[in-house]
Amino acid sequence: MRVFVQELVNGLTQGSVYALVALGYSMVYGVLKLLNFAHGDLYMVGAFIGYFVIQWFGGASALAAPVPIVLLAMFLLAGGGVGVLGVVIERFAYRPLRDAPRIAPLITALGVSFLLENTALLFFGGSYRIYNTSSFISFGTGIHIGVLSIDIVRIMVIVLAVVLMVGLRLVVNHTKLGRQMRAVAADREAAEMLGIDVDFTIGATFFLGSALAGISGVMAGLVYNSVWNYMGFTAGLYAFTAAVVGGIGSISGAVLGGLLIGLAQSFITGYVSSTYTDLIVFGILIAVMLVRPRGLLGRVQLQKV
Amino acid sequence: MAVHKESPSIGVDEWVAREAARRDYPPGLRGDVQRQLARVGWWPRLAIAVAIGAAIPQFGLNVFQLQIGINALLLAILAVGLNIAVGWAGLLDLGYIAFYGFGAYGFALLSSNQLHAPHGIHWPAYESLPLIIVAAGVLGLLVGLPSRRLIGDYLAIVTLFFGEAFVSFTNNVAPSVLGGSNGIFALDPIRGFGAQIVSPKGYFYLLLILLVATVAVLHLLDTSRTGRAWRAVREDPLAASLMTIPVNRVKLMAFAFGAMVAAMAGTIFASQQTSVFPDNFGTEFLILIYAALILGGAGSIAGAILGALVVEITLDGFLRSSTEAGYIFYGLILLTMIVKLRPWRRLGGVLAGIVALGFAAHAIVKAISAAAVAGGPQSTGWIHTILQDWVIVPANKAGNIPAAFGNVGFAVLICLLIALVQLKGRWRTILMVPTVYLAACVWESRLIVEPSITRLILLGAILIVVMNARPQGLLGRRRVEVI
Amino acid sequence: MKGRITVAAVALAALIAAGCGSSSSNTSSTSTSASSGSSGKKCTASIGIEAPITGKVAVLGDEQLAFAKMAVANDNKANGTDITLVQGDTQLTPSLATTVTQQFISNPKIVGVVGPAGSQEVEAVGPLFGRAGLAFISGSATKTTLTNGSNPTFFRVVSRDSVQGPEDANFIIKHFHPKALMIIDDQEAYSQGLVSVMMPIFQKAGIKVDHESVSQSVTDFSSLVAKITPQMTVAVLPWQVAANGEQFGKNLAEQHKKVTIVGTDGLYSPSSFTIPGSYVSSFGPDITAIPADASLVQQAKAAFPKFGTFGPPVYAATHVIDEAIASACKSGTPSRSNVLAAIKSTDEPSSILGQPIKFDSHGDLINAKWFLFHINSAGQYKLVTNS
Repeated sequence: MRVFVQELVNGLTQGSVYALVALGYSMVYGVLKLLNFAHGDLYMVGAFIGYFVIQWFGGASALAAPVPIVLLAMFLLAGGGVGVLGVVIERFAYRPLRDAPRIAPLITALGVSFLLENTALLFFGGSYRIYNTSSFISFGTGIHIGVLSIDIVRIMVIVLAVVLMVGLRLVVNHTKLGRQMRAVAADREAAEMLGIDVDFTIGATFFLGSALAGISGVMAGLVYNSVWNYMGFTAGLYAFTAAVVGGIGSISGAVLGGLLIGLAQSFITGYVSSTYTDLIVFGILIAVMLVRPRGLLGRVQLQKV
Repeated sequence: MAVHKESPSIGVDEWVAREAARRDYPPGLRGDVQRQLARVGWWPRLAIAVAIGAAIPQFGLNVFQLQIGINALLLAILAVGLNIAVGWAGLLDLGYIAFYGFGAYGFALLSSNQLHAPHGIHWPAYESLPLIIVAAGVLGLLVGLPSRRLIGDYLAIVTLFFGEAFVSFTNNVAPSVLGGSNGIFALDPIRGFGAQIVSPKGYFYLLLILLVATVAVLHLLDTSRTGRAWRAVREDPLAASLMTIPVNRVKLMAFAFGAMVAAMAGTIFASQQTSVFPDNFGTEFLILIYAALILGGAGSIAGAILGALVVEITLDGFLRSSTEAGYIFYGLILLTMIVKLRPWRRLGGVLAGIVALGFAAHAIVKAISAAAVAGGPQSTGWIHTILQDWVIVPANKAGNIPAAFGNVGFAVLICLLIALVQLKGRWRTILMVPTVYLAACVWESRLIVEPSITRLILLGAILIVVMNARPQGLLGRRRVEVI
Repeated sequence: MKGRITVAAVALAALIAAGCGSSSSNTSSTSTSASSGSSGKKCTASIGIEAPITGKVAVLGDEQLAFAKMAVANDNKANGTDITLVQGDTQLTPSLATTVTQQFISNPKIVGVVGPAGSQEVEAVGPLFGRAGLAFISGSATKTTLTNGSNPTFFRVVSRDSVQGPEDANFIIKHFHPKALMIIDDQEAYSQGLVSVMMPIFQKAGIKVDHESVSQSVTDFSSLVAKITPQMTVAVLPWQVAANGEQFGKNLAEQHKKVTIVGTDGLYSPSSFTIPGSYVSSFGPDITAIPADASLVQQAKAAFPKFGTFGPPVYAATHVIDEAIASACKSGTPSRSNVLAAIKSTDEPSSILGQPIKFDSHGDLINAKWFLFHINSAGQYKLVTNS
């Protein structure tokens, strides 16, 4: 029972991180039909920003400000910084390719990914940067029920992820910007004809999606401690998978996909064998796709004739 | 006197648009060259290319250059095979690398001591290759089966899983048979009919012959009914099915042919490396194949080959030596300026400004602090003597160049480049001067000190720039996608 | 536009001609600069280094490169030679190692190579080096079969898996008497090699072994830690990435599991892995604890503050080649064959590794030591035992 709950918490934490990155993927895909391979690297940039904020405040063992302030600074700076970076990337790398066949922006995204990963390598070197979360948030705090203990950092990550997802849903469904995003996603030309500023809307979408990736980077740093320049590669892969399995373009689907992958990894490692985790997870996902080709919560794509 | 249309507009049928473009050539030198080239048939063009390719090793190339040639030919074969599924049939196959690995591992198992130890199976190449290629075709059919229900990006995901599953499989499953992460080694070279190929030159010629054979077969396919069916399915599957094209079968054929080409390349790769490891077939290499194909122009065989040559020679050929990379870097900047800056006097003004700014800045900084210019340019030879008093390259007492200067300079350079794209007119010309000078300083002080990282950064930059300038790739044709 | 393109084409042709021309006259220009600087003839040669400078283990390659540069600088000053280092990035993959090796082989100035770092790479490039008669010394390839004769020009300055694996396993059995333990490999050849050596020993001692496997890019081990039963008192982590070991220890603390971590040389990193109570074995000594290395340690800290055990062996390997070149210079010009012969007869009484360097006929370091360290409650490494 204890193992089960532990694996459940692990899976939810991991899944939340994937879900946030997958959300950004889904949002960008929705408006631009672009698979942004550089998205995982934005997550990496967010994690680095969080690391440098900790260093700026004096380092993990000697923070000069109370922990909540530091955390707030990390999230805001990472979210804002990565959001701006995302907007800049969209403006210069993707905007000229809006009408090109979809494979061209795909390769451009690969180029941006190379650029980000290796610029980080050039600036920061290949060493892992350690957040050392336990120095300022000790393991003692958390929920303790009998022999079961759930660390507060994981709880914070899950709660924050839920808050952000709900917030995003509110934005998309109940604000003017959200309406514009949905309109552009449905039909860009028609939206333009209706007077919607498409460039601004796409920019805002990129900002939101990238900010989410940046924040999830900080969360990953807090929970997993290790930050390095290639960390975006694996996370991006899983997030991309989560977005597609959940039904690409659908926000709830991305969340569901992320949680599914996180839980699957956790339970298979815990109950079967870590050696075959990847294989089994892939097998499950292939099965899901074959049974439901449009993804779990995806909409049936009408073919334009 | 045909009027040249800029591009097919959205909504116009692509066939009609291509028909118009087919009849007229762009004006000027490019049009003349294209018209002359069009008079030569496809087969004579292939023969000329083969002659050039066969003559290359005769120039007394050393082992390293031959190895680059071999890598380039392997990448070209892979790109041409990927072109079938991605360029011709419009299917995003992200698991392509698994077929490459299948061919390599198949060859490894049939030509080493791995199975039936201790002597193992050692089939000659003319027995193992056909078997592996046919098996790969069957595997391609199996992998392509999900394409009946999945379209577009969903198919991409499933193929991606397959690719990742392959690496995971060879790494973890049955280590005594597949070797685990240790791989399988001590493979036979390509052997058959009494002869065997061991030297790099031999492999170069073998790969050249295989590439030519593959290209010939694919060209025949492309101009046949199958090729037309692929193009129809790529543009509009619904209309294609209405025209009685068996869409599912056509998609499966695309997968199968791509798999066969990849497996063939895999076997030669395994025998040349005399070993196989799961790491050889990871997603990083898949990205390179895609980059090569799209850069060269998806949908065009010549484009795939050209893209492979560009990617391989840039990555491994030029950027491994500081001096040669310097030639490329400065040469490209000069060429871009020559071609892009319109009146001659503007070009002259900018060049003069850059040179003057350099000497002035160097002298001023030297006067302030000698250590700030103590380091010299990393290239050797005549470039070194020219640049010595021009670039600012700081150095500390031990002769090491501090990374901070280069890093900050690099960040500022990116901002300047972005600003350069935004500005127009006179301000752009003025801003070019410090930007180019800063680029030279950052290059000499940071980028070329770490050539291994720089070449990847440059590859990323090349991809971004080329895709933005020419989204159809170097030799591709513009098309409009109906989403 | 036509004129512009013509000018550009002419400029390109001129550049290519200049490039080809100067690369052949390159040798003359460097030799003139060398001889103009000093009165005597300087010993000029190049050493290649194959390391994972980019890629997943870039931090190891970075460290190896920094130590190699240090060695070349120190030896140039001490011996009055003019040796340059040429770097080749292998990303720890055999295919890139093959390309880099061909590059080095076709560069006539390179008379010795340091690296490659991974045992797989050595397997892939060994025959190539052998055919070219080019010596290569690795500071981290520990697979036992590499020196069985299939790589005639291969040397190494570290001990083999067949030493480190059994020593670690026997220590664990003798010291902890565990009823059960978990051993986790990181899906790389280095790790799986050690696991395949250690598991039979554990099984013969009657210990229940839970063999797990995670890839190096996984940075959260909570799921694995949750699987640890109270019977398991030891976790064996033959990993290459020390930061992952640290994270594993943190996950253990988070879930309040009392498990001792035993790691191998990949985990040795006084800056990254400091879980109190752990044991780490290493093929390289802790050079900060060797008094004779004090100045080198200072130099190393300035160049690469957070070094571990992957740098010093590369320093030693580079130093061996530097000395070989210097001695070859005394009797003529250095060439691949006389440098290879000089390396074979290397007999250094002391080195950065705190032991003499002499190679046996297979290329292994004679008396290559194995060291075991214990991390105390202050996070410091203390030597426990060595072979």
